[in-house]
Amino acid sequence: MNPASIPLVKVEGLKMYFPVSTSVMRQAKSFVHAVDDICFDIPEGKSLALVGESGSGKTTTGKLLSRLYTPTAGHIYLRDGVDLVDLVTLKGKSLKRFRRRVQMIFQDPYESLNPRLTIFDTVAEPLLVQNIGTLQEREARVAQLLEMVGLIPATSFLFRYPHELSGGQRQRVAIARALVVEPRFIVADEPTSMLDVSIRTGVMSLMMDLARDMGISYLYITHDLAVARYTSHEIAVMYMGKIVERGETEAVLSDPLHPYTHALISAVPVPDPSIQRKPPTIKGGISQPIDPKPGCRFYERCPMQFVPCQDDPPLARVDGRQVMCWLHA
Amino acid sequence: MVEQPLLSIHNLTLEYKTRKGYVSAVKDVSFDLMAGQAMGLVGESGCGKTTIAMALLRLSPDNAVIRQGQLLLDGRDLLKLSDQEMRDVRWARISMVFQAAMNALDPVYRVEDQIIEALDRHRAELSFAQKHQLVAELFQLVGIDTKMMARYPHEFSGGMRQRAVIAMALACSPSLIVADEPTTALDVIVQDQVLRELSRIQQSLHMSMIYISHDIAVIAEVADLIAVMYAGCLVEKADTNTIFKSPRHHYTKALLSAFPSIVGPKSELVALPGDPPDLLMPPPGCRFHPRFPQAIDRCMHEQPPFEQIEYAHYAACWNPL
Repeated sequence: MNPASIPLVKVEGLKMYFPVSTSVMRQAKSFVHAVDDICFDIPEGKSLALVGESGSGKTTTGKLLSRLYTPTAGHIYLRDGVDLVDLVTLKGKSLKRFRRRVQMIFQDPYESLNPRLTIFDTVAEPLLVQNIGTLQEREARVAQLLEMVGLIPATSFLFRYPHELSGGQRQRVAIARALVVEPRFIVADEPTSMLDVSIRTGVMSLMMDLARDMGISYLYITHDLAVARYTSHEIAVMYMGKIVERGETEAVLSDPLHPYTHALISAVPVPDPSIQRKPPTIKGGISQPIDPKPGCRFYERCPMQFVPCQDDPPLARVDGRQVMCWLHA
Repeated sequence: MVEQPLLSIHNLTLEYKTRKGYVSAVKDVSFDLMAGQAMGLVGESGCGKTTIAMALLRLSPDNAVIRQGQLLLDGRDLLKLSDQEMRDVRWARISMVFQAAMNALDPVYRVEDQIIEALDRHRAELSFAQKHQLVAELFQLVGIDTKMMARYPHEFSGGMRQRAVIAMALACSPSLIVADEPTTALDVIVQDQVLRELSRIQQSLHMSMIYISHDIAVIAEVADLIAVMYAGCLVEKADTNTIFKSPRHHYTKALLSAFPSIVGPKSELVALPGDPPDLLMPPPGCRFHPRFPQAIDRCMHEQPPFEQIEYAHYAACWNPL
């Protein structure tokens, strides 16, 4: 089989349930279905944006894919040559080896960099953990990466501390640290939402350039649909632990199929005063999926609700897109 | 007769004293706001938006030093008022909606009691039943079920808390409401509801509003006019349409072309080089010049004045667009 046709990342039936305990002594009877049976794949060099409101399970999915959590059920496959390796089954040394392949970038560059480490130590740390290269080689590699992420000249940054850098520069350091072990796949959890507009654009285009030049795939987690438009090839909309719609980014944004996607898009403020937005047709906020009843999770808020919605909606395929809604079944 | 502005800020210059020296947080900011107008104050973090809001309410931190300026509310300089007089102005004339609604509400008091506390100070003539009735009306106005009145803040969702804070700000019918990033912590659908509510109330009660945000799309939806700040200075001010259609300051243009939108054709986003300046040592001349490749010699040495360059369109630039 041609390796290019195999996706780099393939997720099947992934579930993460967190126990809701009322007392330390008692066993949990209820569970938050934070991620509930999701499937997707990401081709090499492509970026999938995971969007949704807070509490929809985006970050949990990101942590599962980087194996910071062990899933309740399901499989996460990463392509290795022509084989698919299930990350869920990895332990010990093989798990550590896998961490070279998958890296994370976090939201807050003020929290995610150790204030006591210099930029060189920060970026070289993954190399040290993975036992790669000699000191000289590591120095050369770190300098090369700093220049690649736009911290030029690298020598003027190597021995500075995070507090001496601006927010945008710190996030570039975090990107360099993720790239230093030459990963194939990066989970980026809201990497630009703490940055100001004028800085954000630069970091966004840097990440997309790296994806193109180095063939890196991203899971780009964001609550901002406008950011997703500029950082992804495909978009997956999450709602209470389920992916309710997935498809090519422009197609989803211009013609949403699921009522929730539709509402989400219509609520995004438009930077153009000549456009009068219609108010979204849904009300209220998202609730926690604690032991959810069968049926569509969006039922309560959905403006289109009708009889079959009491049952679990099937995953329908419409023009190369997937939507979990009875309207399209 | 020419209509007098409700609020008129003249040459406000404020510095923060730190161990490393004085941070020039707001420099020479002047603008007028008419009754019933909603002005959006937009800019990036650290540009001085919140500093202006806090100065207006005289809630600046202890290390703030006001070098010069006047804050005229109906012609009366707020900076000259005694603390006692200022307490009468707060809530009753100017009120504020803060970003973190959770921190603005006291967790150990019922929401209703917190609003009544503000009423006790400013509307002492009302009986308890009247105050209770007024709170109920406020809750209806901002769209919260009146059953929630006797609840504690932790029982409110994020959107409801923000509405409760807006209700509290409206309690004494102020003429000016200062909203500092009131929807930044909210999800888009809830943000949309809160924005619509706030706009509707502001217009129906004919209040003035200063809406502070880093998000120019949100500002576009609520504001009649927009003031753009950069590194402590006001760089441009005009009505909302003009700012979007024909900005004259290069920073405003850069801000607009860096902002992604989900509607319309997918235009190329343009990143701005560099970072905002360190306000401990602000650059001489125009504070934007280090990030502007086409800066002329004059930009580097002389600070451009903030002046009217067209009818009702102000900008501070030596070489406007």
